Amino acid sequence: MKRRKFITLAGAAAGIAIVPPSLYFIAPGINEFAVELIEKEFYYLKLAPGSAVRYVDDYFKSSANNTLSTIKWKTTYYLKLNYEQSDRIRELLKYYLLSTDFFINKMDESKMLNYLGLYSPYHSPLPNPYSFLIYPPAEIKEP
Amino acid sequence: MKYDHYDLVVVGTGFASSFFLKKYLAKTKGEKKILVLEKGYFYPQAERLKVKKGEYSSDQKHDLPWQDAILNVNKEKEWPFSTGYGGSSNCWWGCTPRFMPNDFKMQSKYGIAQDWPVDYNDLEQYYGEAENIMSVSGPDDTPFPKKGKYPLPPHAFTLVDKIMHKTYGNKYISQPGARASRSITHRNGCMAFSTCETCPVNAKFTIENSNMQVYEDPRVELLYGAQVYHLEMVNNLVQKVLFQQDGKERSVKGEVVVLGANPFFNANILLQSGDKNPLTGRGFGEQLGMQVLIYLDNMKNVGGSTWVNANGYMLYDGDHRKEFAACLIEANNAPYDIRLERGKYLNMASFRMVFEDLPLNSNYITTSNNPFIPEVHFKDRSAYTLKAVENMKQKLPGILSCLPVERLKFLPPASHEGHIIGGTRMSNHQKDGVVDQHLVHHQYRNLFVLGAGAFTTFGPSNPTLTLSALSLFAADKTF
Repeated sequence: MKRRKFITLAGAAAGIAIVPPSLYFIAPGINEFAVELIEKEFYYLKLAPGSAVRYVDDYFKSSANNTLSTIKWKTTYYLKLNYEQSDRIRELLKYYLLSTDFFINKMDESKMLNYLGLYSPYHSPLPNPYSFLIYPPAEIKEP
Repeated sequence: MKYDHYDLVVVGTGFASSFFLKKYLAKTKGEKKILVLEKGYFYPQAERLKVKKGEYSSDQKHDLPWQDAILNVNKEKEWPFSTGYGGSSNCWWGCTPRFMPNDFKMQSKYGIAQDWPVDYNDLEQYYGEAENIMSVSGPDDTPFPKKGKYPLPPHAFTLVDKIMHKTYGNKYISQPGARASRSITHRNGCMAFSTCETCPVNAKFTIENSNMQVYEDPRVELLYGAQVYHLEMVNNLVQKVLFQQDGKERSVKGEVVVLGANPFFNANILLQSGDKNPLTGRGFGEQLGMQVLIYLDNMKNVGGSTWVNANGYMLYDGDHRKEFAACLIEANNAPYDIRLERGKYLNMASFRMVFEDLPLNSNYITTSNNPFIPEVHFKDRSAYTLKAVENMKQKLPGILSCLPVERLKFLPPASHEGHIIGGTRMSNHQKDGVVDQHLVHHQYRNLFVLGAGAFTTFGPSNPTLTLSALSLFAADKTF
């Protein structure tokens, strides 16, 4: 690990241990941060107005939303991590795409992405993006 | 309980017991008194789905966490299973490849561990029977010999699968699975949701949707909440089965007794009952599984129609098994393995590499202070298995050279494969095992000990089909 990165991480860890209340109250809202991440990462996609906000609201309602989780998210914010460095961010972005009609529209970037509810086989009819439901056998070419 | 003496007393209602009973009932005509003692309760699929949707079900109290049912000494090694009506049919993922013929002959072919006292040919008919009962979907051409077709057509290949199949022929096939490829009488067609534990569309075979008519048979009496903990032995025969129900001590006499719980509980009951066989509870384990993410260049891996879409046998059988373990490849169809780079979202294949392990006696099941709770000691993976992992890492790039691979990412070994194997191993002689070729205890000759606990060696293939076939075989040969 590079020295600068180590110092940053060590500093953040110490901050978590010593001043979590201040970090908690000073940092911007997690939801706003998460929406920013989505809009920044998928700048080239047409996100339906308000869809990222509604997704993020649902996402945090459905996952552990305790103080520890909040602090971890805010640490992610202060370290300016991206999805290659943070599983937390990767999951957020991945499940955003899975929760929209992006895959139903076969990843057509020209189409608007509409949020259809959190991806879950038990709660929504959104299909597995890899599956025959989107790509029927007749569309799979012979090698 | 209607009687105090039964012709047959069966413990458990999972695969092992249900398939045994299926054959027993078919072969024994006329009046028979059969008692089935189930530790848990009936928790219907429809109620499980309600809970998954976040709704309340009055049955959810019956969902006993596996962590509370055993004392698991090594917390890093997990052993998920399900108790209650249907046993682990309520949490399995429906993978039903047969074992390969040489899996039964590890000593004579490769000088490893022991041969089973049965071989592939002994089981072939029963494999077919079990596949019919489960309505397995599968291809015509398989790497293991097979008479007849699978009941349902195979699941659809992805493009990756098609390329691999074209390259490797019947060493890369659509996985035989008990996830229906189209709707049938009691099950819907698989929708590839990849949450098979509780299938959202009831496509997976379970004892509940099996239509086996075993527990509806008027000769069978089923008691729920009956926790068996002791067998009373007289002159090397089981005379009484002791159990607790609703906090009360109860017992019942049986002419023949069948232990069809999972290997932890079967071993625990035997040890509680004074079984002195040094191998009882010893040498249990399971396969080692690890995921490999295959990043593809300009190729979408789409079109799959179930959870494990294919099986690869390129690292399975051969002389290498003299030195290191066989590996079965599972091509997964996981929705959560998507990429985030622009335009490459579905350019990913996800393979699970499943390695056989050996029955090491340093891994063992024993009793605890609580007669209902076995203590589980899992310490070691064999060097035989770990060497196979290293070999796989070297060989896999070559195996995948028919695909446009950008890079591979090997994930750490998984905490479990969802299998519990060994602990009451099968052998020709008492000194080498606990049960004989018909799953009858070497010492207690009116006692069957069923299930994957009886496997002499583990093999890399999923155990459920083989343990179900063994149950059919044992009942057919005995009654």
